[in-house]
Amino acid sequence: MTAATDWLLLRPWALLLLPLALLPWLYAGRHVSAWPWSGALPADPASAWLDRVLRVLGSLAIAAFVLALAGPGLRGEQVERISTGARVAMVIDRSGSMNSTFAGRAPDGGEESKAAAAKRLLKAFVTRREHDRVGIVAFSTSPMFVLPMTDRHAAVQAAIDAIDQPGLAYTDVARGLAMAFDLFDARDPVASEAIVLVSDGAAVIDRRVQEKLRAAFASRPLHLYWLFLRTERSPGLFEAPADPREDTPQRMPERHLHRFFESLGVPYRAFEADSAAELAAAIATIDQAERGEVRWLEALPQRDLSPFAFALAALACALLAICKSFEVRIGPPLPVLRP
Amino acid sequence: MSGRADARFRLLLAATALACLGIADPQIDYRRQRYDALFVVDISGSMNVRDYRLDGAPQSRLDHVKATLAALIADLPCGSRAGVGVFAERRPFLLIAPVETCANFAPLAGMLQQLDWRMAWEGDSYIASGLYQSIDLAAAFDTDLVFLSDGQEAPPLHWSGAAPFEGEPGAVHGLIVGVGDVIPSPIPKFDRDGRESGFLEPGDVVQENRSGTPPPDAERREGWHPRNAPWGAAAASGEEHLSAVHEAHLRALAAATGLGYVRLTPGLRLDRALAGHAAPREADARLSLAPWCAAAALILLTAVWRPERAGRPLSLLSLRPRRPA
Repeated sequence: MTAATDWLLLRPWALLLLPLALLPWLYAGRHVSAWPWSGALPADPASAWLDRVLRVLGSLAIAAFVLALAGPGLRGEQVERISTGARVAMVIDRSGSMNSTFAGRAPDGGEESKAAAAKRLLKAFVTRREHDRVGIVAFSTSPMFVLPMTDRHAAVQAAIDAIDQPGLAYTDVARGLAMAFDLFDARDPVASEAIVLVSDGAAVIDRRVQEKLRAAFASRPLHLYWLFLRTERSPGLFEAPADPREDTPQRMPERHLHRFFESLGVPYRAFEADSAAELAAAIATIDQAERGEVRWLEALPQRDLSPFAFALAALACALLAICKSFEVRIGPPLPVLRP
Repeated sequence: MSGRADARFRLLLAATALACLGIADPQIDYRRQRYDALFVVDISGSMNVRDYRLDGAPQSRLDHVKATLAALIADLPCGSRAGVGVFAERRPFLLIAPVETCANFAPLAGMLQQLDWRMAWEGDSYIASGLYQSIDLAAAFDTDLVFLSDGQEAPPLHWSGAAPFEGEPGAVHGLIVGVGDVIPSPIPKFDRDGRESGFLEPGDVVQENRSGTPPPDAERREGWHPRNAPWGAAAASGEEHLSAVHEAHLRALAAATGLGYVRLTPGLRLDRALAGHAAPREADARLSLAPWCAAAALILLTAVWRPERAGRPLSLLSLRPRRPA
């Protein structure tokens, strides 16, 4: 299963020391006994072989240490697993009104802002769903690409942490949604995919942008959820106004966006949340519904193989030391000749 | 005389011991510098000016900043944290709160890759105001600030200068990075669908900030009238349709806020510049001693197989031959 590319060396430059392994073939590494003449001795194949074995052991020891210095390892791999989860594109409203409470006031000690509630609950949602891949787009006056689809949940949490920072002016839902399609990878068909739109308002969608969104939704089998954080006394998604003349996209952009989503022909659910508790219930519903099959990659860490190189070196050195301990000197020590 | 008396025997025993130590893989703990930084990138229109070069082709300031930041974050020691925000109009907009850089490099790099001038919510760029608010944002997350901008205020600064910094200078460490060349270049212009359509003309931009009180020398302007033409009769002229890095302005802001200043020249080592201005923070790190064991053992083994003259046994402690008894 492991291909050649799975091996790695942490310090490949250390291999430059590999020629040191030739040293045992240049020098004996044993006591040289001064002997007048050895030409009269008969050839001894056993001694010659012993000599070669000792030199090979020496080369092996040096090469093993060089390899250990180079730091051999097996590259960390990613093993594909299949479990329940989804790919979730979060499209999050960062307009200024998200920083006020559900009652439409500036947050005080008692009540948190809509953005803070969304942040807390979305973070809990991501924590519960460990195999999801999550991408994030923020929108206000303009759409902003925040996070590519990723399984690094620390990054997802950090991106969600940013959503209760002060927001901007407008609510351009349509372009935010259009950008969310950039998060999905068209090459991966086996996935349960969902777009979760979190906003506290909507805007009129340009006719041209409507056509583009229709085409985009038709191209992918995904689910759409709208968590509408309704501020007190603002019009809801579901009730038609008493006066039919009021029922225009300009007057009631939220209701008309809802009708536009219904007309897309994709599985779509809208949740109208008037409080943090209702928002939590809506997120729990999404958590229940989005339990498709999802492929995810388990990262196996890199494996250090240098202990094997050290073990080989230890073996070779120990054998050499044992051989060395059996070495005897032949003949009496000769007087040292001074030049 | 036995082989055990030979210095080589002791060398081999020592190498064996070092190899066994290498298997055990001893490690020492130490503390090293890490960096916590909030990167705020100016995405206003003047950042589209192409005065950098990549492989001989012109590269816009924003593209150069994106590539530089991705390389910088890749080089930060593990345990460092990086957050990313964009700046336009008069304030920063936080995209991602500070997050550890090693484990989350891929999403951070993907996010940097997508930074775009189209994210900007207004065409103005009040650099001083954006910088002051970025400092507050960095303080809220207890990080350093790296503010990357060409320093071109749009509309231009009032003659009386930028608003004063009201925070405590030096409370937030960090760096202002001046982006762009010192030679002015034309600013690309885009149509309403975001397609490039030439360059800004002198008449497309505000050339003089005429809000507030006129400068004291306005009386000497041609056609000046205290009520009808307090700024003079002539239309404002200037170079605001061209863009160069406004180093003097950025240096003044850096001095007022206690941040460092560096200009993003091609090939600048931004990591070194950051190291010089970052707040001291420490991260745990471990150093493996196994490579040192291997290196020491190699030195010992080269001493085993070395030339020896007949009759002169080696001495372990000294390279001088020992006299035989």
